[in-house]
Parts: sequence; structure tokens; C-alpha cells
Amino acid sequence: MKTVNSSNNIWLEVLRYSVKTAFKSIIHEKWINLLTVLTVSTGLTILSAFIMINTNVNSALQRWAKNFGVVVYLNEDASKEDEFILKKRFSEDADIENVNFVSKDRAFEEIKKTLGPNALILDVFNENPLPSSFEFRLKSNSLVPSVVKQKAAQIGQWPGVQEVQYGEKWLASLNTIVNAMKIVSIIFGTAIFIAVTFITYSTIRIFLHRRKEEIETLKLLGASRSFIRLPFLMEGLFIGTMGGALSSLAIFGLYSFTMYKMVEFLPAIRFIVSSLPLYVYLIIPAAGAAMSLAGSFMAIGKIRY
Amino acid sequence: MIVFADVTKRFGKKAVLDSISINIKKGDLLFITGPSGAGKTTLLKLIYCSERPDAGHITVADWEVSRLSQRGIPELRRNIGIIFQDFKLLPNRTVFDNVALALSIHGMNPGKIRHYVNEVLEEVKLMDKANLFPQFLSGGEQQRVVIARAMVSKPLVLLADEPTGDLDVDNAKAIMELFSKINGKGTTVLVATHDETLFQGSGYRVIYLNDHYIEKEYMG
Repeated sequence: MKTVNSSNNIWLEVLRYSVKTAFKSIIHEKWINLLTVLTVSTGLTILSAFIMINTNVNSALQRWAKNFGVVVYLNEDASKEDEFILKKRFSEDADIENVNFVSKDRAFEEIKKTLGPNALILDVFNENPLPSSFEFRLKSNSLVPSVVKQKAAQIGQWPGVQEVQYGEKWLASLNTIVNAMKIVSIIFGTAIFIAVTFITYSTIRIFLHRRKEEIETLKLLGASRSFIRLPFLMEGLFIGTMGGALSSLAIFGLYSFTMYKMVEFLPAIRFIVSSLPLYVYLIIPAAGAAMSLAGSFMAIGKIRY
Repeated sequence: MIVFADVTKRFGKKAVLDSISINIKKGDLLFITGPSGAGKTTLLKLIYCSERPDAGHITVADWEVSRLSQRGIPELRRNIGIIFQDFKLLPNRTVFDNVALALSIHGMNPGKIRHYVNEVLEEVKLMDKANLFPQFLSGGEQQRVVIARAMVSKPLVLLADEPTGDLDVDNAKAIMELFSKINGKGTTVLVATHDETLFQGSGYRVIYLNDHYIEKEYMG
């Protein structure tokens, strides 16, 4: 006498059972599920809107940072060899790009061009008072005040260099904004993660409580922990994924609507404000699923026989 | 098949079973009887690990039940069919689904489940009630659903706790016939009951529990 033979693929059957049970429960508990999905969706939409604002502020800062330049003025007595060595050093530096040498004469010509008809005032000088200089830009990942300050000090020590000029205050402000955005993102992201996880946790706890007797019977009939847990996890997964998907739709709709309305008054806005990258619209449901799954895991807790 | 060796179970300071030793062979049909509170239900619970002994050893087939880890309990229970005193039928599932649940737990595919469940419902004469919910069945019918659920997976052991508690004589007789039939197929059957009419003149082994001990053992 033997007990019945199980299927060859027990896991597949348990998964099939779990999906079926979760689906039935979603239908049976439709109102509480709908409410949870909408709450999760609201949380994720707020987070997504924040990510969109953050992305736009970041790209504006990136554009702004592209114009950040450093000017290295040379001594009057800097030799051709000094100029050659400095150019070589700047070209070889991985943090530096767009190196441009401006000779004394070119600097004088440029200032004359800038002054236009007022260039006559330059006649008071007997000779060209402007020094030769190197102009270059720093790559955006090197735009950290401490790094730039250290590099400027280092360059200032090199032979032939008289002075290094860069927008120190401007760079500090830029850095403050970027850091503040990072901190706010972390706090905001954590708060939404906790909120979504807790919402799903509470809902799954309610389901567990309502199906307490069923779980007891399942345990007595020999159901494994996975068999008992999986339907609840599936339900959590559904809540998170649906909440995330709705959030993606909402944020896309919100962006499209805002652009549609704003473009009438401010046509340039379409070039300034960008939507979220496409992959983010897929990440939001995945993130919702992960958060809700975490909440469901915590809600189920340990199953003891 | 089932061995109790010097098993003691206490609730607090009070012993419910005291140094009980029983040896049940494979294919036996055995009755545990005695007055209320004698420890009949506890004895069954010790077999399917719902309770743990305070002393002694229990083995069921190859399982050392008294030392079984939490992880090992589901597998043991999947090999034991249990007929609960309070039925434990799920009210939101049909008769078919209640019985099918025992096979879903085994990880069986829906095709096989349908075949086995129909077979067992035919056996307990409930095929025409397959799509009804338990609350629309009589006590005797509900009891037969529980029996069907317990026997559908063809367990090694079948435990029945007061299976005829609220049933009339005819229903009780029908259920006893089912047990004999299941036992005839090789399943070891243990019936805990206070109803002496179930085993009188049956020729089956009877263990009488009283005051936490085995007071007597005889053939019914």
C-alpha cells in the first residue's frame, strides 16, 4: 500500500495552485485589494514624480556644469618650453577636456573685438597688458569643490603659472544643490519603501487573519510552508505590480498632460523638461512588486506546525 | 506500523497519558475507547504531531515522530489521513474542492486530482453533491466528505476521532463499513470513540483507556 504518487513536477503544481488561490482571493477580496493597489499606486506616483523632478534638475545641472571653465594665467616670463610642458600636462590629465591656449596677442584681439568702438581706451597702454593663458573644462564627474580646489592649487605651483581662476562659489552652490537632491532622494525613497511595504503588510495580515482556520486545516493536512505561503506572496506581488503599473501610467499621463498644457504658454519647455527614461516605467512596477513582496514576507512570518 | 513506547503526555502538571505502550501492526483496524478525558484524542494528536510527548518514543512507519523536526511534520501528515471530530471542512470550497485539497497538497496535477476525487466521491456515495458547499450537507454527508478527503491520498494510516459522534445508527453503520473497506485495502485504521456499539462483536482489537492508563485490551 502506497500513498498516491505526486506529480513529477511538484513545484509547478504548487505554483499553479498558488496562482489559482491568489486569483480567487483577489476576486473575493476585491475592495480591500483595490484600495491597497490604489494606495500603493499613490505612494509610487509621488515617488515617480519626485524622480522625474530630480532627473530634470540633474540634467539642468549637467547642462550648466558643461560651461564650467578654468583659466590658468601664465607669468610674463613664461617660456615656450613652460607653455609646451603645461599643454602636455593638461592634455594628459583625465579630468580635463577642451584645452585651449590663448596667447597674449589673441587675448588682446579678443578684448578689442569685445569692446568694439570703445576699444580706443586700450590705446592708453603702451604695450599689451594681457597675459597668455590656458582655458579648459573639467569633466562633470570631477566637479567636486574639494577636487577642483586641490587641482587649482596644484596647477598654481607649476612653473610659468601666475594664477588659476575658476568659479569657486558657483561650484560650491552647484555641489550643495546636487548633494541636497541626493539626501532628499534617499529620505523620500526610504519613506515610500516603508509606506508601501507597511500597506501590503497590513493587507496580507488581514487576509491571514481571515483565513486562519483554513491555514490550520492546511497544516493538519500536511501542506508545506511554501504551499501555505505562496498564495499570500502571489497576492502581495499582484498588489505591488498593479500599484506600480498604475503609477507608471499615472506619471506618464501627468507628464503628457502637463506638457500639452504648458507648451502653449512656454513652447521651449519641451526641450527643457524631459520625461522619465523608458526603463524607469518598467522599474516602477518591479519596485512596487519588490516592496509589496517584502511586506508580504513580513506579514506571513514563521509558520509553525 | 505505529509504536508507542512508554509515552507520557502532560498538560501542565496533569498527566493525560502516563507511560503508554502500544504496538499497532500494518493493516490493523483498532479502536481506542474510554470515558471523556481519558486521552483518546491526545493519543491521536501525538501520532500526527499536533502534540509532542513529554517522555517516551513514538514511531509511525519510518518516522521517529517524537523527534521529528518542524520541517519533517508536513511529510508525515501527508501520509496520514485524519478524520477530525469537528470535520474541519472549508466552508468556501465545494465538496469536490475540499477533497481535492488533500491532493493539491501532494503537488498532483489537476487531471489526476479530478480522477482520484471522482473515484473517492463515488466510493462514499457523494458524487451528486460534488458541487455543493459543506454547509448544505447533512451531518452524515459532511462526515463522508471528511472521510473522502482523508482517504483520497491513499494514506498509510487513517485516524478517526469520534467519527460517529452526532450521527444516527444508519449513518454510523455506513461509516464503519467505509472504514472496514479502507482497512481491507491495507490502510492501518485507528478509531477513537466512546461509542461501544461500533466495535462490539466486530472482532477488532480494542484498547480501553481510563485514568491516563491502558486499563484493558481486548477483541471487540
